[in-house]
Formats: sequence, C-alpha cells, structure tokens
Amino acid sequence: MSLKREKRRDNPRQKRLPSNAKQRKTTFWSYLCSAPSLILIGLVVVFPILYTGYISLTNMNVYHWFDFDIIGLDNYERALFLVDSGFLSALLATILWTIVNMVIQLVVAFVLASLLNIESLRFRKVYKTLLMFPWAMPGYVSILLWKTGMFNSQFGLLNQWMEKLGLEAVRWLSSDVSAFICCTVVNLWLALPFMIMIMDGALQSIDKSYYESAILDGAGWLRRTVSITLPTIRPIIGPAVIITVFTTFKQFDVVYLLTQQAGAKTGSHFHTLITYTYENAFITNNYGYSSAISILIFVLLLVFSWKFHLEEKS
Amino acid sequence: MKNRKKMRKRAGLACLNLFFIVLCFVTLIPILYALSVSFNAQNSLLSSDFSFLPRQFTLDNYREVLFGEDILLWFGNTALLAVSCVAISLAVAIPAAYCFSRRRFPGRMAVIRALVLLNSFPAVLSMFAVYRLLRPLGLVNSRAGLVLVYTGTMAVFSLWNLKGYFDTIPVELEEAAKIDGASTFRLVRLIVLPLAKPSIIVTGLMVLIYVWNEYIYATTFMTGEDKYTLAAGLYSLQATEMSGSWPVFAAASIVVSLPVLVIFFLCQRHMVSGLTAGGVKG
Repeated sequence: MSLKREKRRDNPRQKRLPSNAKQRKTTFWSYLCSAPSLILIGLVVVFPILYTGYISLTNMNVYHWFDFDIIGLDNYERALFLVDSGFLSALLATILWTIVNMVIQLVVAFVLASLLNIESLRFRKVYKTLLMFPWAMPGYVSILLWKTGMFNSQFGLLNQWMEKLGLEAVRWLSSDVSAFICCTVVNLWLALPFMIMIMDGALQSIDKSYYESAILDGAGWLRRTVSITLPTIRPIIGPAVIITVFTTFKQFDVVYLLTQQAGAKTGSHFHTLITYTYENAFITNNYGYSSAISILIFVLLLVFSWKFHLEEKS
Repeated sequence: MKNRKKMRKRAGLACLNLFFIVLCFVTLIPILYALSVSFNAQNSLLSSDFSFLPRQFTLDNYREVLFGEDILLWFGNTALLAVSCVAISLAVAIPAAYCFSRRRFPGRMAVIRALVLLNSFPAVLSMFAVYRLLRPLGLVNSRAGLVLVYTGTMAVFSLWNLKGYFDTIPVELEEAAKIDGASTFRLVRLIVLPLAKPSIIVTGLMVLIYVWNEYIYATTFMTGEDKYTLAAGLYSLQATEMSGSWPVFAAASIVVSLPVLVIFFLCQRHMVSGLTAGGVKG
C-alpha cells in the first residue's frame, strides 16, 4: 500500500477546487456514501481496540467481571519488567520463529524457483500446479490434517514410519523444541508456494541478455547470482517479503491448532505473542493483562510498519 | 566429445525431473494420506502395512460425513452467513471506495492513513473486547453477531482493495459521460462497475473464503452445534488422541476443502490481477 503515490495524485487536483457550494455538496455526498463502511469499521475494529486499551488499565478477570477497578499501568509493568511473566520469552520466541521461518523460506523458494526456471525443464507447469496445493487448501484444514495425519502419536504417519524402522513412537508435539520444529515445518509447507510464485515471477522478469554477456566475460554461477540475479529481483520481491514477515510474526493458526487447542494441549510451552495473548484472555481469563499485551503488540506492529514505510520511501 | 556433453545434459535433466517428482509427492503426502484413509474400508490404521492406495475401496466414510453428522446443516449455516457477508461487504464498500478514489474532501487522507495502520492489527487481539461489547446486546451466539464481526473485519480490506482498483480506471471515461449529461449514479452503474468487475469478484471471493475458513470467532461465539459453520463443525469433529474417528474426519476435511480448491484454481489468474492492482495481498 503506497501512501506516496496517493499524495502525489492529490496535489494537482486540489488546485482546481470547484466553487464553494459545489465542494460542500461533494463533501456531503462523500461522507454519506462512505458512512456505512466507516461506521462498520469504527464499530467492529476501532472501538474494540480502544476498549482493549481501557481494559488494559483495569484488573478485569473472571472474578472481577463487573466490579473491576482501574489499576493504572500495573499490567504493562508486569508484562515488561517481570522476567517470568512469559511475555518477554514469548517475544523472543516469536522473533526467533520469524527469523528461522523467513531465512529458510527465502533460501528454499529461491533455489526451487531457480530450478523451475531451467530452460529445458518441460513439465514445469505440472510441477507448479502440484506445488500450489498447500496454498489452495483452507489453512486450518491443512493444519488439522498435519496434526492428526502426521504428528498424532497413534495413527500419525511419522510414527508408523518410526515403527517400521524399529524405533519407538515419539510424541512429536509435547516438548518445546520438537513442537517448534513441527510448527516450522507446517508453516513452511503452507507459506512456500506463495513465495515460490513471487520468486518465479521475479526471475522471469530478468533480461536473459545480461547472463549471456556475463558468461562471455567468464563469470561463474555464484558471480552471476550475486551481481545480476539478487540485485534485480530484490525490488520486485520486496513488498511480498515484507508482508510475509508480518504474517509470520502474527502467526496464530499453526501454533494454536497444533499445540494449544483448548482442552487438547499437547504440553509444549512454545508460544508466539498472539497465542500467548489468546491464552491469557480465553484460557486463564486474565483479561486486563491480556489486553495490555494486545496493546503492546499493536504498538510494536505500528512501529514496524512505520519503519518499513520509511525504508520504502528512501 | 559433443556426444558426451549431450549425454551429461540429458542425465542432469532426468535428475531434475526426478527431483521435482519426488518433491511434489512429498509435498502432497498429508493430503494423499487423508484421501487414502477416507476411502479405505479396512480399519487398518493401527497396522504398519500402510499404503497410499486404499486396500478396500469404500464410500462409507463420506456417507457417514454427509448423512451421519450435521455437515449439511453446517453447510447451510455457512452458505447463509457467506451470502449475507459478501452482499453487505460489497454494498457497503463499493460506494465508499468510489468516493475515496474519485472525490476530494476534508479528512480523506487521514482516513486512508488510519486504514493502513488498522490493516496491521490482528483481529484475534481484540476478540475479548468484541465479545464483551456484543454480549449485552444479545449478539453473542447469534448469526447477526457473526455477520457483523465478519463484515467489519473484512471492511478495511474490501474498501482498500476496491479503492486501489478504482484508482487504476481512467477518469476521462467518466468525464466524457458527464458531459453527455449522465447522473453520477448512472455513470457508476454503467461505466465504473463493469470496468471494476475483476476487483469486485476478487473482493467478494476473499470475503467468501474468509467466512468459509474462519473458525476462531465461530467456535468462541457460537455455543450450540446447530449454529456452527463448516469450519467450526470440522474443528469439533477432529480426531484427538482420545476420541473422534480419523477416517470420518479425513473425509470431512476433503468435503470442506473441495469448493475452496475449485474456486482457487478457477480464479488463479483473476486472483493475481484483482489483488495486485489494489496493492494488498492476502
């Protein structure tokens, strides 16, 4: 979403403002036409955020549903300065999760897209279509299929294979590290098709004559990749990569459905920020504290997107 | 010499093809496994001689899903919700997007900026606040409440996506029609809407798919199973370590995914142009 383009379009038009009365009529009709949409957004999106901000200043929980008190910034203090509150470790885990996922995703997608672009590969289209399936399936269905079909300790495929190899069955989702790895695998499975598509499109847009002259000059594969391919695709894949960083950071479904489902927790303590917030709101019913974390995450996301906007501008 | 080079190239290509065949197969394992289990008659799940082709073909699991469970009821609920959400979303977003694209009025830039920021807010975070606000209004455990939440959540996206597409349609066409004396309403109906069709279709589809796939609000806000959507129903059907039937769940997953798969592959080309022009990607 580029605000930059928006501004540039704005200025020349405002110079030829029509007469006052006409402008007033335009303004009136514009407000009237956009009112339903904006009221809806106000009611369902903006007001709950403000209300979350208000709850975050209270001690509202399941015992104080109506008779809660305003306790100031205590909830924020607890989240930020109490080392074992869980917020800081969830934040660290989320950052680690984002970095690991993004690095693997970018490298694997780049390699696969490059291989798909080798000229003499004839069945490229078939492979591409088959590889799109994880993207096309409804996300939560795929995650639940992974949970039961692959990781389940009785009828999961992984344990059937372990049994065949004469090994003991493993409870894949019950310890922190293996749950983290399982979640990463599922997340990569879900996210790679989109990234491969983006990389593929970017690679196809490179002018082939660059490579020909580079080969004539005796440049090897590595040299060509570093000096031609990467600089050319960088601006093209940039926006998609930024969007993916955000969705990875905000990931909820994978972690929640695999390990944290209400009533079916697997025993792993791996949390991303969002699942941590959810747990505090709906499992341990600590509404004030959970709201404080929500606001902190929102601020964090705002700072991120503002920074990315600055970078995009420069 | 030349021959040997050709041979090497051919061998390399064969390896590459083999690599992609294996890769595609490995990628599809979870889906293939679910398919095979859903068609398998023997309950051979606990035995170790498993194969990707069902030993004894049967449709019993599908019969169980379609007639033994409430899936048809859930399908009806989802269809009702989806149709109302798509209709309301488009009815509300098209006029607003048109005004934000074509008209200039005070506060316009401020709202556009706010929308960009709001788009980065994950809806799960304010779910508790929404719950607490809707409960006294009697909108928890009611379809109207879900419609309100879904259309509101998707309203930011719809408005932004449509506005982005309207921006790419040249104004000159409308100006010409205006000189011929057409009213704004006629002009939008006869010129703008037909031109914006790809974006309107994609926006509607995104709302539809969102409603189809949303499970967290649907399970938190709805308590009676008779009011479940497909997503919430499938969520309740899932086989855990203790209970549930994995073959029935596998069959249900396939049934629920099929429409989405069909829509995805039919509209794949539309998806890219209808989304990228608006400058937002799912």
